[in-house]
Parts: sequence; C-alpha cells; structure tokens
Amino acid sequence: MKSEQDKAKIVTRLLDDEPVGQTVQVVRVMGDGAFRQRLLEMGFVRGAKVTVLKNAPLQDPVEYMILGAHISLRHSEAAQVEVTDKEALFCDLEDNFNGIVETEVAGVDPMADNVLRVVLIGNPNCGKTSLFNNVTGAKEKVGNYGGVTVDSKEGWFNIDGRRVQLVDLPGTYSLTEYSPEEMYVRTYIRDNHPDAILNIVDAGNLERNLYLTTQVMDMNIPMVIALNMWDELEKSGDHLDIEMMSRLLGARMVPLTAYNGRGVKEVLQATMQTIDESEKETMHHNVNYGTLIEDCLKELGGMCPTLDRYTVLKVIENDQHAIELLNSQPNAGQVKKTAADMRQRIERDYNEDIVSIITDLKYGFVRGALAEALTPNPDRATGETKPGYSMDRLLTNRWLALPILLVLMWLMFEATFTLGAYPQEWIESGIGWLGEWIGSVMPDGILKDLIVDGIIGGVGGVLVFLPQILILFFFISLLEDSGYMARAAFIVDRIMHRVGLHGKSFIPYLIGFGCGVPAIMATRTLENRRDRLVTILTVPFMSCSARLPAYLLLVAAFFTANQGLILMSIYLIGILVAAITAIIMSKTFLKHDKTQFVMELPPYRKPTARNATIHMWSKGKQYLQKMATIILAASIIVWALGYFPRHEGQTPQEQIENSYMGQMGKAIEPVVEPLGFNWQMGVSVLTGAAAKEIVVSTMGVLYTGEADATEESASLKEKLQTATKPDGTHVFDPIVAYSFMLFILLYFPCIAALAAIKREAGTKWMIFEIFYTTGVAWLISFLFYQVARMF
Amino acid sequence: MSTIIQTIVVLGIVAVALVYVLRRVVKTMRSKGGDCGCGCGKDCQCKNKPGKEF
Repeated sequence: MKSEQDKAKIVTRLLDDEPVGQTVQVVRVMGDGAFRQRLLEMGFVRGAKVTVLKNAPLQDPVEYMILGAHISLRHSEAAQVEVTDKEALFCDLEDNFNGIVETEVAGVDPMADNVLRVVLIGNPNCGKTSLFNNVTGAKEKVGNYGGVTVDSKEGWFNIDGRRVQLVDLPGTYSLTEYSPEEMYVRTYIRDNHPDAILNIVDAGNLERNLYLTTQVMDMNIPMVIALNMWDELEKSGDHLDIEMMSRLLGARMVPLTAYNGRGVKEVLQATMQTIDESEKETMHHNVNYGTLIEDCLKELGGMCPTLDRYTVLKVIENDQHAIELLNSQPNAGQVKKTAADMRQRIERDYNEDIVSIITDLKYGFVRGALAEALTPNPDRATGETKPGYSMDRLLTNRWLALPILLVLMWLMFEATFTLGAYPQEWIESGIGWLGEWIGSVMPDGILKDLIVDGIIGGVGGVLVFLPQILILFFFISLLEDSGYMARAAFIVDRIMHRVGLHGKSFIPYLIGFGCGVPAIMATRTLENRRDRLVTILTVPFMSCSARLPAYLLLVAAFFTANQGLILMSIYLIGILVAAITAIIMSKTFLKHDKTQFVMELPPYRKPTARNATIHMWSKGKQYLQKMATIILAASIIVWALGYFPRHEGQTPQEQIENSYMGQMGKAIEPVVEPLGFNWQMGVSVLTGAAAKEIVVSTMGVLYTGEADATEESASLKEKLQTATKPDGTHVFDPIVAYSFMLFILLYFPCIAALAAIKREAGTKWMIFEIFYTTGVAWLISFLFYQVARMF
Repeated sequence: MSTIIQTIVVLGIVAVALVYVLRRVVKTMRSKGGDCGCGCGKDCQCKNKPGKEF
C-alpha cells in the first residue's frame, strides 16, 4: 500500500501523450465498466510497465507492449490510462505477493452424474481449440487470433478404458461479468460442475495468462495447467521451474505443444490423476489477498457456507451476478450489508476502488510466483520485444503496411486463378468425357436427359471449381495461422472506427469470407446489441466461398487480362458496401456510442503445412458434400422445371423457353433486364437463394439444355461465351458479366445465413435483410450497367 | 426401358429431390443452433462423436 504523501508527489500524464519508444508505468485506468475492467485484466494495473511501440499506418490505433504482450489501443482509449515515468515512487507489483492460503475441499464422486467432464479454459488464442481438435479428433476452426470460438464445443476421448467428455469454451482473459464470453464461461462452469478444469496457458506469456488461473483457483475445482507453446518458451531462452510453480499454484503443470501433439497424452494423464485425487478430501490452494481481505472472506464465507470462495470474493466486489446468487440465501440482506461495509473498509484502507485492488493483488501474486519460478533469458534486454514480432517492422510499417496488404490479397486471388486453371481443365475434360460417354451408351430418352443435362450439367458445372476453392482456402489458412490477420485488423482499424463499427466486428467479417453462418454466430462476442445488429446485417456483404464459383466462371469467360485484380475488386466492393451500410445504420436507426475495444496482436507463428492442408481438406469436403446433396437436388429440380411441359416439334431453344422455368424467367425478366440480364440469369439468381453455388449449377442446366448436339461437349464457359440473344447479339460481354457478379455478391443471403440472422437478431431483421440486400444489389448493378454502357 | 417407366423413374427422382430441398430449408429455418447450417448438414454439437483413444 502507498502513503497518501507519496501519491501526491506523482506527476501523471496520459498514455496517449507518450511518444513512440517511451516506457512508462501505469498509475490508474480511468472510467468504469467493461473497457476499464478489460484493461485491468490485460495487465494495466498500478506499477505495470508499458512501452509505446508504434502508430498504425493510418495513425490510429497505437501498438503497446505490456507484460510481454502486444496490445492495440485507439488514441481515445489510451487517453483513459494515467501513467508516470517516476518508477521509484511506485511499489513494485511483487510487493503484493502474500503467497497462498489453503482451503479444505471435500471429496467428490467424479462419476456422480455418469459422465466424466473436463472443460478447457484459457485466454483467447492460447491454443485451446488446437488441443481440443487433437484430443477429440474434431476439426473445429482455429486461427492465430482471439475470438474464433464463440460457444461451447463438446467432444470425447477415451483413456485407460474410461470415456471422458471434453468441452472447449470461448477464450477469456478473466471471469468477470463484463463481456458475454466471460459470463458464458463462468455460468457454464457453475451450472455444469466439471470434474476438472484443464487450464491452457500460453507459456510464452505466463504473467498475463496466469491472471485467469488465479480466478479459477478461487473456484476450488480440481485444475490442471497445460503450458502450451512450450517450444516457444524453450526457444526464447527463459527457464521455468515447473515443479516450484506447480507447488505454488497447487495444480499439476504439464508442458504442451498442442499444434504438433507433443505432451497431449501427459496432459490427459495428469487430468485423470487430478480427477481421481478429488475423490478424497484435499487441501486447495488459493491466492492470499492479505490479512484484511482474507479476514473479510472468512467472515463472509462463514455467513453463507454454500457459496465458494470465488463467489464470496465477487460479492465483496459488488458483482451483480454473484449478488443474484446470494439472493437465494436466507440471510441475503444481512450478507449484502456486511459485504458493503467490508468493501468500504477495504477501499478506504487501500485508497483504491475494489476492482483495482483485487486485480492488483492477483497480478501481484502472479508476479511474485514468477519471480520465484521463472528465470528470464539473461541475454534479452529489459523491454526488448520477445521473438515472434520482428516481422512487424516490415508488415505494419507506416508506409509499407497498406501496399503489402493489397499485394498479398492480389497474390492470393491471382494464384487462385493461375494455379487453379490446370486442375480445373482436367476436371472439366473428365466431366465432358463422362457426359459424352453416358450420352453414347444410354438410349435417347428422358432418363438420359436428366443424367446428362440435369446432373452432369448442373453438378459438374460447380464441381470444376473445386481446385480454386482449395487454393484460396490454403492461402487464407496460411494468413490466419501466421498471425497476419490480426495485423490486417490493426492496419485497417481506423477505417472500421470511422464507419462506426466495433473493433471486434473484424473477426466475424473475416470468418464471413468463408461462410456467413459461423460469421453471424461470431457476433455473439459483441456486448452492445446495436453493434451486433450492424455487424450481423453487414456480414452478408463479405463474399462467402459459395459465391466464388460464379465469379470464377464469369471472370475466366469474359476477362482475359488482370483476372486476379477483377476478382479482388469484387471482394473490395463487398467490403465497401458493408462499410457504407454500417455508416448509414450507425448514424440513423442503429445510432449508438462507439464501444471501446482492446485487441491483442499475437506473435507471428510459422504456419504448418499440416494445419493448412487440414483446413483446405475440410473446406474441400464441405464443398463435395454440398455437391452430393443440396446442389444435386437443386440441379434435378431446375432441370425438371426447364424440361417440362414437353411440346412436340419444338427446337431445344423453344422447348426451354416454353418450360415452367422459361415462363418463370420471362415473368421476372422485366425486373432484371435493366441490369443487362436475360431470363436465364434471372432464374439463376432466384434458385441461388437456396445456396449460392446453385447460380452456377442452374446456368449449367439451362445452357446445357439449350445447346445443340455439336455444342454438348463444350464447357459451360464456352457456352456462355457463345450464347446469343434472338437478335443474334451476344448475351454476355464484360459489362454484363461484371453487373451479374455485383448482383450475386450483394443480393439475398442464402437460406442458411437468413436462418442464422433470424436466430441471432429476430424475424423482423431477417425480413429487413432480404429486402435491403436485394435492393442494394439491384441498385448497384443497375447503376454500374447503365453507366458502363454510356462509354 | 420404356418411355413410361423412364418417366416414372425420373418423376420419382424429381419428387425425392424436391422433398429433400424443402425439408432441408425447413430444418435450417427451424434450427436452434444445433446444426451450424454451414452446409455440411451435420449436427456440429453431436454428442455421439466417437472418442479418440489415448
């Protein structure tokens, strides 16, 4: 504790005013609520050293280093932190180290509910999902940035003849009540009574990661600590005395390298041993908060013996969810009054608010424990950046960052085209050969027409783009695993801020390039409902992988040069429309104050070929599964609608125009004609509402059916290039093709995405989204087509 | 195969495809989040996944 006189002497400044390269100490974090709490949890506690590393290329946000981690804060947020460079005036955090206290915990029967349940918890991006996938054989999405897991995922493993359920929970920095993921984890643990907690800790950033551990220690649940990324700790030259650390925390600690599976079996064995020991009465280690707070905990704990130490401490902290739990106690009123008195006494004694005091003490405990067990690499200078960040000199450089981002995007799209072209040709020839062979062996008739025109024409038209899908996801996986995606967020954060989007929205947008459904679910991490709504309603403008076959087909058919750039422009227009929509919404009917956001920049990691291949294969499998199910079924229906009713003596062209599909197409033709579309394109976008790949499969069916005998073996691309209107002019040219791509990019999200919007935002917003996206798509395609035609 | 049989077979396939698509759409819209709806068609929260051996 500090004397008032000492405090009065401290001259403080704002962190925002500090120049790049400056190292200062935190005095206090101003404000209140979730943002303040988050900063405290991330280590912005009194006495902690912060180094200003660099401004983002657009000058906002700023990258800081604290507790060895790199944090991105906007200027307005850094202005909430008071700092000083008078080191000597501060007591060191280690002064708060009071060691541990032991609590007797009664033995429990692990099989009481017939299920052995272990939950995985840890900071965001510490490798929980990598371990979960490794242990259960699941293929849940992982990425080198936080916020990928948004709810619990359950899997199983068998060890020594016992079956155990493993639950992967979202990453959290703490277990407070301020953010949805923290409340989710806290409530899950409280309601499901796991037999053990498997706490995944990033061994390269122990100080920050062990803060969460101090909270779990108070819950008195058997815990095992897995020191993940152990290889990075070894490489850094730091040395951790695992045995001593384990003794201090009262939990088994096991080194782990989850991405390659090293140490997984040992972690599981340690977990089982811990569960077995919990059958007997054990002494549980808790953080010692000093005489005053410990006395309060003892007194209050005695008044409500059914509550655990964690909840009692939260009651003293005036945590509203803990107080709700308290309401079930018969003496709730008296306990609340006593807790309030205690809070006042503690705050008066420490001259701080209770949340800062407890956070300081927890960090003090962690730092004290590390001072005893961790020997830092003596060759590393104080304040020097840890390995894994050296590439930032280039990739987030003020002048080079944006050009590098654009070049990387262009390279990705160009490679998708050029490398994918060869296997695409092979698949195309294979499908062409299959169609011809079936055509030659089967007698003419309706069944042959269904197989050749409906199934091979429809499914085959989409299947040929499998290589490009695989290549694109291989590149995305490399960018995600390396940690570059978090840098991309850092580089463009100022733009996100300007358009009224929350910093956390970046993660759903990123996921949206793969599939809109998990992206919409990922908005659950946004605290503010209006932030969530803006993000949910704009995510469908991020071009998902299902739309890619349509772009690939049209770009390859009608643009001979700069194909990668054309494809990239479509993605960029999607982002632009999302930004404009977000500005309009956040300034009108979804107006709200901007929520602050602290983002962690993970160290760069070498992407592994294994992970990239798994990611690519899982995408490829999903794509093939869709081919064999919904695309196949939709192609059959589209073919039937284009085949019936039959009229004798008509040419294939007349037949298809007079079919049910033709009649439908003709009915909507006036609506799509101003965009440069014919009725076949109109029908394709209509059927594409079920799933976006169906746009291509519908065109495959309609143009195959329309083709005469000599054209049957031609690819869909060639058929589109030669398709003509009744007046003999070409249906497609680059302007029509681009207008069509714009419409596909922006219109009606697919049924699955709409269902997700309905679930997350409600029916009203789902209906709004249908009309809004389709209206925007029509308007932009119309403007593009009409203006481009003038030149 | 006679034209009539071929027609019956084809109409049967079309009917199955139609029922499949409609069921899929209804199932997706009614989903409470158990099926992630990403297109894999599987319940990603399935409790009966086989466990890995250690």
